Amino acid sequence: MNTQIETRMCDQLARYLDLATSQVKLTAANMANIDTPGYRAVGMDFETEMRGALEGLDQGRAPGAVHLKAVDGLVSRPDGNNVSLDREGLNLAEAQLKFKTGVALLRQENQRILDAIHSDK
Amino acid sequence: MNLFGLMETSGSAMQAERMRAEVVAANMANAETTNTATGGAYHRQHVVFAANQGEPGFLDSMVQAGGIPAPGIAGGLAPASLLTGSQGFGPFGFEQHGPVAPGVHIAQVVEDSGPALKRYDPGHPDAGADGYVSYPDINPLTEMVDLMGATRAYGLNSSAVQAEKSMIASALEIAKA
Repeated sequence: MNTQIETRMCDQLARYLDLATSQVKLTAANMANIDTPGYRAVGMDFETEMRGALEGLDQGRAPGAVHLKAVDGLVSRPDGNNVSLDREGLNLAEAQLKFKTGVALLRQENQRILDAIHSDK
Repeated sequence: MNLFGLMETSGSAMQAERMRAEVVAANMANAETTNTATGGAYHRQHVVFAANQGEPGFLDSMVQAGGIPAPGIAGGLAPASLLTGSQGFGPFGFEQHGPVAPGVHIAQVVEDSGPALKRYDPGHPDAGADGYVSYPDINPLTEMVDLMGATRAYGLNSSAVQAEKSMIASALEIAKA
């Protein structure tokens, strides 16, 4: 029997928020280096990472490092930099919404637990 | 994961872009300067950006100094294991020598070595023996385009800061019932 107060959903959401933060972090790093000669944009595959994180959670592993990959299909400028302003802007908005979704779900989950605690009143 | 580290990344970029705008302003202000402290006409300056290397963060230093125990790999859900560099991960939770650069800095401000513009003006106090005065070779168009780029990049990073702020604010909401 599961004796801890937090549910599995809470742990899953924690990993989801971690990954959303990683995505914002990558986007912020790309944005910061938009004028750095020779800088190549880096990205991550959110779905693969989330799958790995959920598997890791079921096996009781601590969260590992995110697998980074170079972004394909971007146009390089003459100085070797290939950061795309539009792509980074969209990614930032997307990651922010993911984070807020995770927070909303986590709050709901906490509220559910609290309701269960107060159910005798 | 450290949300506050994000602001450092975007902040470093805003600082660098502001410096770039300052250099452009200095170039335009000195477009007609024929006499500088080093002698001769003013030379156009421009900045060179370089990606930051993953410097050890505060938490890394604390772990190295023994102030905080390094989290074990099988330590359950310890979020600190993502923050420290003790397991080959950088301060940002990515591989230490990975391609992610936490921010940007100005590597150097270089002086354009191009030749000065010569204008014939024998009455000018800085005129040479042949009557020609050396003027800086500054193209207002180039400078304005550079300034526009700096402004746009500054705005881009400031909107990233706004996004990070709202994420931190919403993370605080979790604790509220």
